[in-house]
Amino acid sequence: MKHILKLHINGEEYEVLTEIHKTLLEVLREDLGLTGTKRGCDLGTCGACTVLIEGRPYLSCLTLAVDVQGKKILTIEGLEKDGELHPLQKAFAEKGAIQCGFCTPGMILTAKAFLEEQPHPSEGEVKKAIAGNLCRCTGYVKIVEAILSVTDRSSEFGVGSSES
Amino acid sequence: MRLPQFEYVEPKTLKEASKLLASDKGSLLLAGGTDLIVNMKHRVIQPKQVINLKAIPKLAYITEGKDGLRIGTLSILRDIASSPLIKERYPTLGQAVREVGAYAHQSMGTLGGNLCQGNRCRFYNQSAFWRGVRPPCFKTGGKVCYVVPVRPSGGPKSKECHSAYCGDLAPVLIALDAQIKILGPEGERSLPLKKLYTHNGKKPLALKKGEILKEILVPPASGKTLYLKWRLRDSLEFPIISLALHMEKDEKERIKKAKIVFSAVGGGPVEVIEAGKMLKNGLLDEQMIEKVSNQAVKEISPMRTSIHSPAYKRKMAGILLRQALEEISSESLIRSNSTL
Amino acid sequence: MNKLNVVGKREPMLDALEKATGRAKFTDDLTLPGMLFGKILRSPHPHAKVLHVDLSGALKVKGVKGAICGKDIPKKKYGIVPMAKDEYALAIDKVRYIGDEVAAVVATSIDAAEEAISRIRVDYEVLPAVFDPLVAMKPGAPVIHEEVPNNISASIRKEFGHVERALSESDFIFEDPFDTQAVNHCPLEPQAAIGMADHSGKVTLWSSTQIPFFLRRNLATTLDIPESKVRIIKPKVGGGFGQKIDLYAKDFCAAFFAIKTKKPVKFVYEREEVFTCTRQRHPMHIQLKTGMKKDGTILAQQFKVVADGGAYNSTAPLMITLACYFIMLPYRLENLLFEGYHVYTNKPVGGAMRGHGIPQVRFAVEAQLDMIAEKMGIDPLELRLKNAFLAGEPHPAKLLVQSCGFSDTLIKAAEGIGWKEKKGKLPFGRGVGLAGASFPSGVSNMSHISSGAVLKIERDGSITLLTGAADIGQGAETVISQIAAEEMGVLLEDIRITAADTEITPLDPGTFGSGVTLRAGNAAKMAAQVAKEKLFEAVAEKLEVDIHQLEARDRRIYLKNQPEKGLSLKEAIKFYQYSDRPMPIIGRGSYLPPAKEPTTLLKEDGNFSPAYSFMTQAAEVEVDTATGKVKVINMVAAHDCGRAINPMLVEGQLEGSVVGGMGQALYEDVRTEKGQVLNPSFLDYGLPTAMEAPSISSVEVETDDPEGPFGAKESGEGTQLAPAPAIINAIYDAIGVRFKSLPVTPDKVLEALSQKEQKKPNTKHQ
Repeated sequence: MKHILKLHINGEEYEVLTEIHKTLLEVLREDLGLTGTKRGCDLGTCGACTVLIEGRPYLSCLTLAVDVQGKKILTIEGLEKDGELHPLQKAFAEKGAIQCGFCTPGMILTAKAFLEEQPHPSEGEVKKAIAGNLCRCTGYVKIVEAILSVTDRSSEFGVGSSES
Repeated sequence: MRLPQFEYVEPKTLKEASKLLASDKGSLLLAGGTDLIVNMKHRVIQPKQVINLKAIPKLAYITEGKDGLRIGTLSILRDIASSPLIKERYPTLGQAVREVGAYAHQSMGTLGGNLCQGNRCRFYNQSAFWRGVRPPCFKTGGKVCYVVPVRPSGGPKSKECHSAYCGDLAPVLIALDAQIKILGPEGERSLPLKKLYTHNGKKPLALKKGEILKEILVPPASGKTLYLKWRLRDSLEFPIISLALHMEKDEKERIKKAKIVFSAVGGGPVEVIEAGKMLKNGLLDEQMIEKVSNQAVKEISPMRTSIHSPAYKRKMAGILLRQALEEISSESLIRSNSTL
Repeated sequence: MNKLNVVGKREPMLDALEKATGRAKFTDDLTLPGMLFGKILRSPHPHAKVLHVDLSGALKVKGVKGAICGKDIPKKKYGIVPMAKDEYALAIDKVRYIGDEVAAVVATSIDAAEEAISRIRVDYEVLPAVFDPLVAMKPGAPVIHEEVPNNISASIRKEFGHVERALSESDFIFEDPFDTQAVNHCPLEPQAAIGMADHSGKVTLWSSTQIPFFLRRNLATTLDIPESKVRIIKPKVGGGFGQKIDLYAKDFCAAFFAIKTKKPVKFVYEREEVFTCTRQRHPMHIQLKTGMKKDGTILAQQFKVVADGGAYNSTAPLMITLACYFIMLPYRLENLLFEGYHVYTNKPVGGAMRGHGIPQVRFAVEAQLDMIAEKMGIDPLELRLKNAFLAGEPHPAKLLVQSCGFSDTLIKAAEGIGWKEKKGKLPFGRGVGLAGASFPSGVSNMSHISSGAVLKIERDGSITLLTGAADIGQGAETVISQIAAEEMGVLLEDIRITAADTEITPLDPGTFGSGVTLRAGNAAKMAAQVAKEKLFEAVAEKLEVDIHQLEARDRRIYLKNQPEKGLSLKEAIKFYQYSDRPMPIIGRGSYLPPAKEPTTLLKEDGNFSPAYSFMTQAAEVEVDTATGKVKVINMVAAHDCGRAINPMLVEGQLEGSVVGGMGQALYEDVRTEKGQVLNPSFLDYGLPTAMEAPSISSVEVETDDPEGPFGAKESGEGTQLAPAPAIINAIYDAIGVRFKSLPVTPDKVLEALSQKEQKKPNTKHQ
């Protein structure tokens, strides 16, 4: 039987008619067409499905959609504001931290949540924070670089060091 | 991998949740979901009803009083780790939290959920297709345990489930003599956390019908505590083996009290009691460390519940304990974990 | 030659921001109206006859629109190598590994499809199975494919020079066994496909694939329809590493059902299926015998290799052949005898994986070289330098090596890791090691390796580029665009690239064999040249100069000697158009690597790759001797890729490869028991997380290959050959233990250390 769920995603209210047993990942991708959040393993072991709920990283493949009604959900699609990219998005692109791009949405959101928790982390702390976001392409080097580069930039982006 | 269908309820009080849990045989509790949802996708459990505890207010708190530290069981793991109180007074607990899974698991997971996590076994924590290669095991309603190999002589096969308890927090809390407060249909009761675990793979928690964990009470901080987790990669994985070590010394550096609790070597967290007793009234020197480590290994019976052999677990138990004892006996004990 | 303008620049990938905003569409992100969802039923037995498949239960499930099994499909075998076709999309009479496809359903929801799968009843007759290739090769072993009674589905016995004589002339002979494990590619995006058919029965398939054109061919064969009725479109692909080269059941079923149901059909694999039912790196048993002269010259090598192929061939003959030929570089080796076998077992299937058979043998060679160096009292770096192949040298296997920076890579990698200061000098538990390798830039095999490109100069000065190349995340489209932009004299942002649609874009061999930059890059360059010349003709007329005096750069066309005299690109186009020359301005390019004979690697000698890359990697490791845990602290990867078209993307390839190689050395292992994978999830399979990642420095050695576009050679696969042996060699420097089998897990280290304690101090071998 289907129910109406009220979900607050990227600053907008959505009403979805869907089944209770659907995960947030399924609702995002299948009911709402928000395909930026990816399914890498469906069992919470790769981080590709990471979204932010009330600013915290959640594995949407292990989250029931019905469970997060009324909570502020942020997916990768919601990161851009009025055409302005988030500094992390820019840094990832500029620093070559994106290859196939599949892990990227989850990775960026995790990094965002972490930097808000800890604005000036060490390299080791960044690695620990993203350890649950698996990447097979990059070897993580440029990802860590990109995340650290954003911490150097204070609140302004665009003022990056010229390519190292 | 889709979830099976189920009824979903959001009780507003713990009492209500307890009643729901007691009334229906096929109900299970949902806290963070990182354990339950995976098991449901694997179809090792298919509850008729899922009771979401997160709508119940006032179950997430971290406070300290005269009798010690109180943590509500719906406290989010990450909040426990970043609590200034925990960082200052019970840092090892925070450190253990930071070893659970990875960042997102800690954001979603709760103390209660972590304590009550399902036992694990390489034949159990697999998809329905994977398990379909052989008849079901005890834990999934079948008649056999694949962990215990059939002896060629045709000797007795195991009649019990040998799945292992692999949680990170229980060993630390047990080492700290934590008490757990439980609410059930008949009211509240308290018992030492250690007694929550039956060591029975099929029914690992000593909870009566409808009972729900409410609060953990940890006696006031004293002595030193360590948690060492051993796994192949430094994140994500459950422990191959892990241990919590708690020690209190008197003014003369003699050990007043010692507790050593292992994870992933039995059906519940395993306290190696004799090894702990050996330490009492002794001095922590090279000889003692060797003796205690050897004794501890004797007191555990790991089974082949993961791809790692019991012999390897035993070996690592001795090595880890030795490391822990050496570390705890050295001057600067605590690795700075305030920013992990 | 003028300094390059676009090539050589660190440009972000063209679609980086698309990916960073979640807009990039991978196959599973696509939806078509009325789309059905498919699931596959797989065998729970490693070896069994399929007696009967009862689909009736599935068809009764609400929402199910179709169910098929082997008897419903054309009996057309397929395989990625035409001469080694041995697979059906669904089992016709037998299943040969746990996970082999037996039936498929489609339904209006994934839930219904999963439910339906569980309702299918299959009667099997279980057959004895064999899991060890060494056992499978012996007489009396269960026969897995009737046509291959000894289970050896591909083999090679190849001799260069005279090995027996060379060995008898050797001053030292070393003989060692090596073992490597099964490794999974683990692309983050699982395999997926969407099929759609039109009323004429023409199928369009969106597929997460590395080779649209091969897929088209194989799909047409298995569907028993002409190739012209199949169109393959490649959306964004979330990694491949070789695992998305083959046709899979999901491709076939999506297409088949699309035709049958007249609706779009989507199949997406679960992670467990990716781990168990796609492809993996072949585990190998390697016996290596090396003859050395006392001055350190490698005289001869003799190999016996048994590759565990799993239940089907995939790239079997190619893999075993590559493993053989690539012993011949990067060292000078006049005498090689290689005996290799690809053996069927009732286990997951081996296929092409980054390096394709070469990493395993390279591990053996490089690990042994260090043992040899020690025994002979020569520094491992010196030993390698002494034997290093040089550009232009005549090659015993007739390989044409026109550029070779191997010695440079050796020196630079050693420098980077601090070889002189550290080797043999670090405290116990810490050590450095290095390893060298070489890789072809696009193997000329199977005679299907032409690449084409079409370039169109638009009226507004932008450039439309059509290429068949498949970008799977490595940045192929960006690199090819850079090459085209450089040739055309425009900026990267002017290029609009459309790729990997078999209907629209020209033929390309696909992303394998590390040849995309070289093949597709060259094709794009040629196409740009042709289009440019047409424009030059017009400009030459207007400026009244000779066409050869013109140059294009920065959106201008001007006289080489008088740069002020020229036109902007837009002006040139306008003039072209108004001079009544036919529009559009198009150039076509078609590149075929120049082999002297049309070398099919499997049958003839000769140069089989247009160019060869060379690399050395050096590792510094730290071993915790109490627990056996090995941590890679630092890796220096020195790579001769000719010229880095995009240094940032090359680094990305190096870094990713290094961590992948490290995974193979220390963490990854597809464990099976009686044919069943025990750890088919990221939880238990040791894919390195960010915590394991070492710091990595990349050093590019530019040798400007004459065949490569702007001198470029490969940098995508060769980089995964050296990390594992470099790490293993570093472990020896750290704790004095040699490992000959992968992965080197902490328990193996502890075991070896304790054995070392018990033995005499100067024993070399375990």
